[in-house]
Amino acid sequence: MTETQVVTYGEALGQAYREEMLRDENVYLIGEDVGRWGSLYRSSKGLLAQFGPKRVKDAPLSEAAIAGCAVGSAAMGMRPIAEIMYIDFITIAMDQIVNHAAKWYQLSNGKVKMPIVFRTQGGAGRRNSSQHSQSLENWFVNIPGLVVVMPSSPYEIKGLLKSAVRDNNPVMFIEHKSLYFAKEEIPIEEYLIPLGVANVKREGSDVTVIATSWMVSFAINAAEQLQKEGISCEVIDPRTLWPLDKETILRSVEKTKHCVVVTEAPAEGGWSAEAAAVVFEGCFQLLKKPVTRVTGMRTGIPYGSVLEMQVIPNEEKIVKAIRNLLNK
Amino acid sequence: MNTVTQLTLYNKMVLLRHFDDMCRKLKMEDLIWSGYHPYTGQEAVAAGCCSQLKQDDCLLGNHRSHCHAVAKGTSVRAMLAEMMGRQSGVSGGLGGAMQFIHAENNLFCGSIVGSNIPLAAGMGMAFKDQQSHRVVMCMFGDGGSNTGSFHEGLNLAALWKLPVIYILENNQFAEAMPVAESVACSPLSKRARSYDLEEITVDGNDVVAVYNAVARAISKARAGEGTSLIEVLTYRIRGHYMGDPEETYRTKEEVDKWKEKDPIKLCRSQLLANGVAANELDEMESMIVKELHEDKSWVLQQPFATFEQAVRHVWIPLEQ
Repeated sequence: MTETQVVTYGEALGQAYREEMLRDENVYLIGEDVGRWGSLYRSSKGLLAQFGPKRVKDAPLSEAAIAGCAVGSAAMGMRPIAEIMYIDFITIAMDQIVNHAAKWYQLSNGKVKMPIVFRTQGGAGRRNSSQHSQSLENWFVNIPGLVVVMPSSPYEIKGLLKSAVRDNNPVMFIEHKSLYFAKEEIPIEEYLIPLGVANVKREGSDVTVIATSWMVSFAINAAEQLQKEGISCEVIDPRTLWPLDKETILRSVEKTKHCVVVTEAPAEGGWSAEAAAVVFEGCFQLLKKPVTRVTGMRTGIPYGSVLEMQVIPNEEKIVKAIRNLLNK
Repeated sequence: MNTVTQLTLYNKMVLLRHFDDMCRKLKMEDLIWSGYHPYTGQEAVAAGCCSQLKQDDCLLGNHRSHCHAVAKGTSVRAMLAEMMGRQSGVSGGLGGAMQFIHAENNLFCGSIVGSNIPLAAGMGMAFKDQQSHRVVMCMFGDGGSNTGSFHEGLNLAALWKLPVIYILENNQFAEAMPVAESVACSPLSKRARSYDLEEITVDGNDVVAVYNAVARAISKARAGEGTSLIEVLTYRIRGHYMGDPEETYRTKEEVDKWKEKDPIKLCRSQLLANGVAANELDEMESMIVKELHEDKSWVLQQPFATFEQAVRHVWIPLEQ
């Protein structure tokens, strides 16, 4: 029996940092207040004292410089973890990520690798309104050259971050601000979770619910509620948005013949449409009904907990969508 | 400067002038496909700055960097091949004239103006942390100095005393925008002051002046004494691209006035005054031209980049 510990999402992240920084001296952390504060949600607390300012770099409030530093130093053999405090601020760093990090491996004929983790966090739930609550992951899924990861729990974040640090691609590691204090029992001994592999969070036979990030917990709660009515939901967390584990998704939908995709990001032009297309392309004939989506609304995230929770998916909306899909 | 060094710089400038002329013709023949940005008149900058770097030093260029690349030691053949979409180009023919990476020569050029400034800081940071004596040089123009990246990158490099030499190649125009109408201060090197760096402006058409200023900055960076910003004042003799509507932003008289300050002419007259024979210079020039033609013929025989290349190296498949 594996020994376990109960940790928060933020603590699990801190453990992953520490383990990877001890393992490889080329791994370093750069971002706004990652050292003195130990990052906004304290995930890098204690690292400055342990590793010193060369390995834990408090950067000026300059997202383009932080991302540019990550790209330049990665080209010279380092393995940066660059933190962009809110995904909303990544707009300032987009040039470095899209035009450089994502292009240099190809432009150098495969000679210059970009082992960078761009860590950031998005989403609603902390009453921060429209410039501190967005779900912008879709932008990165559309850029060839980037890997996009969204960890949904403490167990996931630790294993996925460790794999992201070891990967030689630029990885967009998009956390969720409403998950930092979520707790989970995780193994004490070291473990890794491979990138590009989905997790079947809950097995079921009537409908496949594909949910990302914070939405995974809403989907599981909805599934548990429906279980009482005799509806059996399979919940899949893709964990990596690109490359997408199509096999796990299709295997599930081939069994359930129904599919709902749940994302906090708006539907239009988004990954939720990509996931739906994968299902249509892969098992159209087996589907009993078209794929349904439950997504964030096409609006700015409003101020305050009452309104913000009304414009993103919740258990009730997911339950309703599943009932409609199954005519129940 | 001793005559031997100056002669080397002169020959480098002559090579760059003929190389650039050749590229313009290749662009007119549609053998270079992308936007092509002529370098005529700015040769003292590439020769005086980039040729001082060692192979393991980094050079970050921009959309007008084919001459920077050659001055840093990338071969004419590899550069021409890149611009003509051939497999033997530095980026395998996938980058073209505006963006390319020559990994073996630590050369990184991109067409997003200003974004190489933070990238250079990152490389400098790596060298500092690795306790190496490698340095980074970053070439950008008056236009690049108006980007947010300039200020973010320069602040960080200066703050952390990184071994980076920033070369502000002021050629008087950002496309059609004259520098006096686009930058709130003059000279542009004043911007260095806000980052507590020395304010340095040199005559960018005087290769000796450029060389000496840059040599000092490189020694400083290698010795761990931090970042420099050098403004080199020069002039873009040709359009932003070939055939741009020049009459919308400058007069022929203005261009003619700058042609008199041609960096190659100036250097030649200094060499002649120091006793170098004119026929010696001319012989070197003919050899350079002959070799350039051989390079061109060689490149014309090279295969184009392939579809297989175009979809390779997009990313590294995950290790499961």
